[in-house]
Formats: sequence, structure tokens, C-alpha cells
Amino acid sequence: MRAVVIGAGRVGLGFAGELLGRAGAKLTVVGRGQVIDNLGRTGHYRVRLVDPGWQEERRVRVRRALPASEADAVAREIARARLVAVAVRPENLGAIAPLIAAGLEARTRKKPLNVIAFENAIDAGPNLRAAVAERLPADFRLERHGFSGAVVSRAVSSILGDPAAPEPLTILGDPAERFQVHGRSLKALPRLPGLVKVKDFEAAFNAKLYVFSAGHATVAYLGFLKGYRYVHAAVRDHEIRMAALAAMREGQEGLAARYGRKLAGGEAELEAILWRFDNAALNDPVTRVGRDPGRKLSPEERLLGAARLYEEETGKLPTMLPVAAAAAVCFAAVDGDPTGAETARQLSAHAPGLLQELSAAKPDAGLTESVTAAWERFSAGWRHDSPLFTLATRER
Amino acid sequence: MVMPRHPRSKVSPIMPMVVELLDEWGAEVETICPEEELTRLADVHVEHDLYVLKCGSELALSLAGALHAAGATILNPFPVALACRDKVIATRMLQAAGVPTPDTYVAAHPGELSPLLDDGPLVVKPYRGSNGVGVHVVWDPDQLDDVAHGGVVFAQRYHKPEGRDRKIYVIGGQVFGVKRVWPARTYEEKLGEPFNITDELREIALACGGALGIELYGLDIIVSDGHPYVVDISSFPGFKGVPDASLRLADYIYAAAERVLRGEPAVPGAATTEVSS
Repeated sequence: MRAVVIGAGRVGLGFAGELLGRAGAKLTVVGRGQVIDNLGRTGHYRVRLVDPGWQEERRVRVRRALPASEADAVAREIARARLVAVAVRPENLGAIAPLIAAGLEARTRKKPLNVIAFENAIDAGPNLRAAVAERLPADFRLERHGFSGAVVSRAVSSILGDPAAPEPLTILGDPAERFQVHGRSLKALPRLPGLVKVKDFEAAFNAKLYVFSAGHATVAYLGFLKGYRYVHAAVRDHEIRMAALAAMREGQEGLAARYGRKLAGGEAELEAILWRFDNAALNDPVTRVGRDPGRKLSPEERLLGAARLYEEETGKLPTMLPVAAAAAVCFAAVDGDPTGAETARQLSAHAPGLLQELSAAKPDAGLTESVTAAWERFSAGWRHDSPLFTLATRER
Repeated sequence: MVMPRHPRSKVSPIMPMVVELLDEWGAEVETICPEEELTRLADVHVEHDLYVLKCGSELALSLAGALHAAGATILNPFPVALACRDKVIATRMLQAAGVPTPDTYVAAHPGELSPLLDDGPLVVKPYRGSNGVGVHVVWDPDQLDDVAHGGVVFAQRYHKPEGRDRKIYVIGGQVFGVKRVWPARTYEEKLGEPFNITDELREIALACGGALGIELYGLDIIVSDGHPYVVDISSFPGFKGVPDASLRLADYIYAAAERVLRGEPAVPGAATTEVSS
């Protein structure tokens, strides 16, 4: 089997590429910059999977590494592939759609091509399909080919090594390998490790987003507020651990009411998630997990999306998800640096605008008020009492 | 981890927990107690990625100096730890950075201080002292005869403190205030209780770190007539009373070790702020 991975980043190499490699695929990686040069030069990379007290390193062979600028060569690779894995971030899907369209047009194989977008975005599959369709002739039979997003379970924290050096790169992640795709949107999918086909992709996506991702974001943003550098340290803080649990429980409650208890999971799942956040070997900084707070604060996303679902399904306002969202507003307002002397002034200057954007994007007045109230408590704490002894004092 | 060995009655759980957390997070930690070991100087080599200098004893400082000379990375950097140990150096560095300190005087003989007493009392301290040992408030020239010194007399203008002793602790830019009775005798007394850090105190606290190029330190602050004065700075104090102190310290040290492994200074920006000694 030939496969193409578009996007030589953490998820493309550390998850999609690794699983495809393990399935015996002859791998072509398409990307940009020095990473692609490194892959071309070394012909492989390593994926180090780490758990507390355990680690395993896997070598992933790269048959060919191509810069995205070599559009003809990329199209030829896609034309001969059975599967294309995309991990370029959702905002870049439009930019790589011409490569896939050209590959499909050049295709002589009878077997369908499956394109899986590993993007942590609910509509990544349909969006990519639409972007590709726009670049194909009207009579092109795109329905013969499959497009889906993917719900990725693995946390991939970093790429280690200097891409300019002669040594291969190492990607650091945890051992989770499950990924869920929309079964009906794909055609004659080859067997892959970790692959799970689901009927309701939205439910599967939200189940991860509103529990795991909501908890991760809660740990990151509150950890940031309390001055921790790493997720594994922040989650050891009793207050933050309890806050993350509470936020995830709220996520579960909304999910259970909408999709059923089985999908939402229970306490055992939450403990397993906290155990994963505890994984110091990932060296995951809170600033990395918290980055791009603007996107993470959007109405369908991990914090407010989970909060809205909770409110819609239970008729009550959630308690902890708005606090985590307010912490995300603080993170955004001080640009990821809580220690700067300008912190209070930055907060005062930027946060109201962020909250206004939030309220414009999200018409639900009750929820916006909850976030604003939590932010005001944080902000007042910051103005009058800079040391953060506890969240309670920060919220005073 | 270069640590002091306290008698059982004085053991604080903070540093043992730091060691435990770092170990759990995958770091290989060796605890070195210079006061309890016979060290063959020729055997002192750089064997670790990062040395954490928790102990401020003369022996620990000398060994840290030997390791520093051999190229070891030490947290806090050895020249800064040395400067913090010497109140003459540290106070002048803080003054130069605009940090408010009481008027400070040094002399070879206590008698030299005599004329200064016309303007009010002085606090005389051992210039390399710690934990309040040997600190005296001198009101009268006669008291100067009793001042013990080793050729360096260090004195500061006395400002009557408002309320209890105030400690400010800084861990990587996070500032914590703890007030406690003086002298604090029990561990519980040393834990004290938190006090609010005003914008002014926060600015002063961070300026101290900026002056020395460190992010891990403690300050003794006096507030008198509404004016704060920094009367002492210590590199790597006990951080008693800081909530989750072990977790915060382990997080900070882990990040410092990560920086060292990446070939960066243990303290961000240390290359440009290193103290000359």
C-alpha cells in the first residue's frame, strides 16, 4: 500500500505516519522547510511513545519526502496512493486541496482514494472534500473516493532534534493509537492499527472534545494562572485537578443526555484521562496546550461548546467550564505570560474586547455572563492581590 | 541536589517532596549533603546536568564554586548564590537596581558606626549571616562594644516595622507573601500566613530578581511608615508558607533542567545578567 502524509508536523508524523508505517505502507511525506529536508536526507524518523515508567521507540521509514511546492511530484504520488492522511491545521486545508485534486485527476488506479483529515475539527473531512471538489471538473466522480475527519486519541507533544542536523528527528507522544473516522464517508478502507469506524462522527468528535480536550484546556489555562509550566505539574495541584474533573464531568453530563451514557463515559474514563495528563515524559508545557485560545474559545469548541451542550441538555448553567473559559480569556489577554509586570494592565486593556467578541459570537447571554463574572473575579484578584495562592484568592 | 541536613526536629517536607516529584517525573536525582560527607577534592567533577544549590553553608558554597570552575551548571548560578550570601555585595547590587533598602554602612570596626547613632538606631548584622542569627538593634554607642565581627561590620538604618515579619518568595516570576512571628520557632510558625502582594511590592520583588539574574529567591521586607524596604535576599530559601511549594519548585527545577539539556542557560537570560564575583 502506498500512502501520502500531507503535513510533516507532530500529528502527521507522530500519529498518522507512524500508524501507516506500522500497517506496512510505503510512505511519502509532503511538507515544508527543514523537516522535509531532514526526512529526505535520513529516510526515516523515530516516534518515541512514553508512559510513566515505560517507553518504546518506533522507526518509521519514509520512502519519499517532498516539499509541497513540488505540486506535480506530489500529485503523482497521490495518484498512486490508496490513502492520504492530512494534518496541516484546519485553516490550511484550502491550501492543500489543489494537491489532492491534481492527484485525483492524474489517478489511473481503479481503487478509490481515501483522504483522512487528522485535524481535530469536526468538519475537516467535509470541508476538505468541498475544497477539493471546487478544483475538479464538474463531471469528476468524486463520490468514488472517501473523505473523513479523524478523532485522534494520541497526545503528541513535540518534535525533538535539529532538522538541520544529519540525525533523524524524534517525535514524542503517548502510546494511545485509537482514531475514529466516519465509516460511511470512506471507501474500501485498508486495515490500519487503531482505526475505528463510527456511524455518528459528530458524537465521537464531541465525546473527545468535551471531555478530554475540555479537561486538558482546563488544566492548561488554570495551570497557567497558577504559574505552572508543565501540564504534569499543574494536574498535581489539587485545586486544578478538582477543577479539571468538574469541567470534564460537566462535559460528560451534556454528552450523556444528548448521546447516551456509554459514549459520555464515567469516572473510570476521567481517572484514565488524568493519568494521561500526569505523563511527565511528554514534557508538555501549559503554553503549548493552551495556545490558540481564540479558536479554543469559539462557541462550538471544547469549553464553550461543552458548556452550551450542558446548558441545553440540563437547563442549568455549568459551573466550572465558564471558569476555565475565563482563564483562557486571561491567557489570551496576557499573551501567554502571567509573570510580566504588565499583566494587570494587559488584562484590563485586552480582556474586555475578548469578552465582547465572545458575547458577539455566542448569543447565549447566561453563559457569557458566567464567563464574564469569572473573568471579573480573576481580574479583580490580579488588580488587588497579585500572588495566586489559590484559585479562590485569585477569584476574590 | 546540594542540600543541608537538618536535625530531625527542623525537617521541612518541602525539599524531600521536590526530590520525590523530580524522581517521579523521570529525573535522576542525587542528594548531596556536604556537611555529612568527607569529600576528596580531587574527586569533585561535573557529573550531573544540573546542580541545585539549596544549601548555603560555607562548605556547600565552596564546593559549588569548585564545580562552577569545572563548568557545572548550578541553580541558582554560583556567582549569584555567593553574592546573596554576602550582604555587602547583595545590598549594593539591589541599591544599584533602584530597590529600596535602608541606608546601609560597612566598616572594619563597630566604633565607626558611633556618629550614625545620632540620627537613630541601627541594625547590625553579620555580613554573611542568615536566619536572623547575630542581628542586633543598636541604640547606644556603648552597645557597639558588644558587636561581634570578623573585620566586616554591616549596619542598616533601623526602621520600625509595621506588624509581623514579612517574607516574599519568588518562584519563576510568581510572587508570594508570607507573614510570620519573629522569631518563628515551630514549623507551623514558619508557615505563617499569606499576605497580599501590592503592585509596589511585586515590582520591588521582581526588580530584585532582575538585579541578580535569578528567578528563585526570598526577600525579607520591612514596611515602615508605609514604605517598604528590602533588608535581605536569599538564594533558594525554604519557601515555607508558599502553597504547593514543592510542586512549584519541582516544576521550576524540571524546566531549568530541560533548558540545560537544550543547551540554554538554567535561568532564562542568565547569560546576560550573570553577576561577576
